[in-house]
Amino acid sequence: MGTRIRSIAILLLLLAGCATAPEPGPAPAPVEQAPPPYLGPRESVAVAGLLESARADAAAGRLPTAAASLERALRIEPRNPRLWQELARVRLQQGDYAQAESTAARSNSWAGSDSALRAENQRIIEDARAARR
Amino acid sequence: MARRGRILRYFSYALLLAVAALAVFALELDLRVRNEFEGRRFALPARIYARPLELHAGLRIPQADVEDELRDLGYRDVQRDDQAGWFQRKGDELDIAVRPFIFWDGAQPARRVRVAFAEGRITELRDAEGKELPLARLEPLPIGGIYPAGNEDRVLVRLGDVPKHLVDALIATEDRKFFSHMGFDPRALVRAAASIFSGRMQGGSTITQQLVKNFFLTPERTLRRKFTELVMAVLLEAHYGKHEILETYLNEIYLGQDRDRAIHGIGLGAQFYFGKEAKDLTLAESALLIAMVKGPAVYDPRRHAPRALERRNFVLRETKDQGFVTLEQYTVARASPLGVSPRPVMGTSPYPAFVQLVHRQLRRDYDEKDLRSEGLRIFTSFDPRAQGAAERALAKRIAQYDKERRFGQPGLEGAVVVTDTQSGEVQALVGGRDARYRGYNRAVDATRPVGSLLKPAIYLTALSEPARYTLITPIDDGPFLWKSRGAPDWEPQNYDKKFHGMVPLRTALAQSYNAATARLGTEIGVDKVLANVKKLGVERELRPFASTLLGAAEMSPLEVAQMYQTIAAGGFRSPLRAIREVTTQEGRPLARYPLKVEQAFAPEPIVLITSALQGVVREGTAQSLKSFLPAEIAAAGKTGTTDEQRDAWFAGFTGDRLAVVWLGYDDNRAARLSGAAAALPVWGDLMAALVPEPLALAQPDGIEQVWIDPQTNLRGDSQCAGALELPFAQGSAPRERSPCATVAGAVVDTVDTTVKKAKSWWERVFGR
Repeated sequence: MGTRIRSIAILLLLLAGCATAPEPGPAPAPVEQAPPPYLGPRESVAVAGLLESARADAAAGRLPTAAASLERALRIEPRNPRLWQELARVRLQQGDYAQAESTAARSNSWAGSDSALRAENQRIIEDARAARR
Repeated sequence: MARRGRILRYFSYALLLAVAALAVFALELDLRVRNEFEGRRFALPARIYARPLELHAGLRIPQADVEDELRDLGYRDVQRDDQAGWFQRKGDELDIAVRPFIFWDGAQPARRVRVAFAEGRITELRDAEGKELPLARLEPLPIGGIYPAGNEDRVLVRLGDVPKHLVDALIATEDRKFFSHMGFDPRALVRAAASIFSGRMQGGSTITQQLVKNFFLTPERTLRRKFTELVMAVLLEAHYGKHEILETYLNEIYLGQDRDRAIHGIGLGAQFYFGKEAKDLTLAESALLIAMVKGPAVYDPRRHAPRALERRNFVLRETKDQGFVTLEQYTVARASPLGVSPRPVMGTSPYPAFVQLVHRQLRRDYDEKDLRSEGLRIFTSFDPRAQGAAERALAKRIAQYDKERRFGQPGLEGAVVVTDTQSGEVQALVGGRDARYRGYNRAVDATRPVGSLLKPAIYLTALSEPARYTLITPIDDGPFLWKSRGAPDWEPQNYDKKFHGMVPLRTALAQSYNAATARLGTEIGVDKVLANVKKLGVERELRPFASTLLGAAEMSPLEVAQMYQTIAAGGFRSPLRAIREVTTQEGRPLARYPLKVEQAFAPEPIVLITSALQGVVREGTAQSLKSFLPAEIAAAGKTGTTDEQRDAWFAGFTGDRLAVVWLGYDDNRAARLSGAAAALPVWGDLMAALVPEPLALAQPDGIEQVWIDPQTNLRGDSQCAGALELPFAQGSAPRERSPCATVAGAVVDTVDTTVKKAKSWWERVFGR
């Protein structure tokens, strides 16, 4: 599939080049297409359910249960940054500030270019650091 | 007259003395009875469970594996609408009646689920009404325990949970007058005494007496012992009610042996022989258990079926003759087969290496005494599939090597560790060539020189300084002499006894060149490297000598796994753990062992070293992995061979699992072993059986992928001959373009990058 898309894309680019008035000069600098704004990953139904129940437990103060649900979810989708972030929040609530910081950093490692998620992780990290001071 | 009076007086003194002695004797026995009775009721083994299998749509698992797990759990393939614990196969679907279970996070009721499979994964999960289910958790497989003295195992039952016909059968057969006598039955005793003379020794013991008999460690059959037991039986009846005695008896009786595990009590008996709970026992099944009371080895239904059947029918007849069951019930029961379930021999555990690890981790938090008596329920990360694959892979290759004698004499030993790459949970542990052997656990306790397995730490340290070293930096694989005052000169040799001149850094690792690595290590500094080894999670103190760099250091397979775990988890260190939660016997949560991560390294050098380790597999010493796993898996790993080839190692990981394999002889003899030839095939077999996830490199901000022309070591494009796309820390890739790079090439690569980015965005937003 990759090579076919590539060939079609090249063809289109060349055609596009022909369509506009060609300007002689050095090869254009490669244009980087930034991915569209983050819409949120689609979690599997299983993980969505566990995430929801974890949030409910955390809100009710049942923190170990919340953490257990999140760990179950992480066994299904270990690369999901939202799960790691939620776990970081629970650690923060539990007063485990060192773990809150590390877990938020782990969330960042999967966050890619999701700036909203990263920003939230940064907030958690800063809260954890402030609490430890 | 006076003399008669004196005789009378002496006689009464003697009588008084005798009575006093008897009283003291009785008091002693009384104390003993009470102590034993109280103490005996509470010693329950800790039960260890594997991870519960969590079914959900999308899970990569073959249908056969789910069926295996269900069978191991004792699920029958007969549909019984009134009971849980069965499954039916309908082509590509499974209809399962999941049993209820009390997990750490609460009680889960019984439920029916329908699971559909296709191409090795679960495609659908529905409940009995056909509604979609997000998740279905099976109960976890019991894999062992920590037992009280004598490896006694039991499952406690309350008298109220025991079916009436079982009690009836017991009374009818063993002690008809149980409810009326005071501990012993005089008429039965007389009969027994008489039987000594008739030659056929009959028991004559009441249930109470039999219970008392169990309080003694040695099975003496002397008259004195019989008398003591009699007195104790009377005392027992004096202190405790009939129901208490009966209940204790039912939980105490010895019903058989499972290798080194002693089966006590009808609760465990029901499980062991029929795969069900005591309360679900039928009349025929109850009769069989009662039949075995007289001699569980002699009347073992699995070994002596005809004899067992005959005695069971005798019990049934007695039960009918004494009016406890009707003629019809008797006829039906008598006609039924023994009905014993096929059960794998388990002993105290078929997985002693893993159980030993669990026991050790528990000892940190619990008293040994409590572990053996409180009936704790321990939930672990054990994965029976991973364990099975690891055991089979090791056994197969060791048998092959023994036969070929390619590697020294027969009797080669080995060890395997399998973990989850992202959580650090230990999934499988094999302690030796005989996985069932409970003894030396090589996976945890055999410390052996690790050879080249330490090299990635050196290269990781180098790659942490991108201004000095990248994956393509040329390093010198020329002769290297290390002189150090007070130590002999050290001149490492390469495996092929050649020196290769200037080679790219990643090639030196891929081909495991000793000279280049030793030079690199000493250039960076042994201390820096050892500091990183510590950060990777190795707690052991390593000697700060140059020779340590090439693996004179000794570690256990578990420690090696910890080291590679940190790399596999993107630089985040999690201590390897086997236990998830602990509850009491009733299911009340006691402790949880949470997932812990610590960022030990920045993501960028980890991406670089992982790419280099993928190179080991793609074009280096682990190339033969091609014949085990498809190229798309892109596994990362490192072979290890030690001095005089005494040890063969392979440590590697895919997207979801990490495994370390070690082979060698316990007496350390030279064995002509090589990591690639001996250990790698075990790793390959094991991973191939587990359908691994491809390893995808993370793409942190600080990394850019650059096409390199290997001829010139300059920036090229995908169209250059032999071009390679490699990760570089931002700004460390060569700026100069190679002559092979063209405009067309640049365009192609730009389009490629765009398409890739669009694809990954698509996948993130819309799922696979």
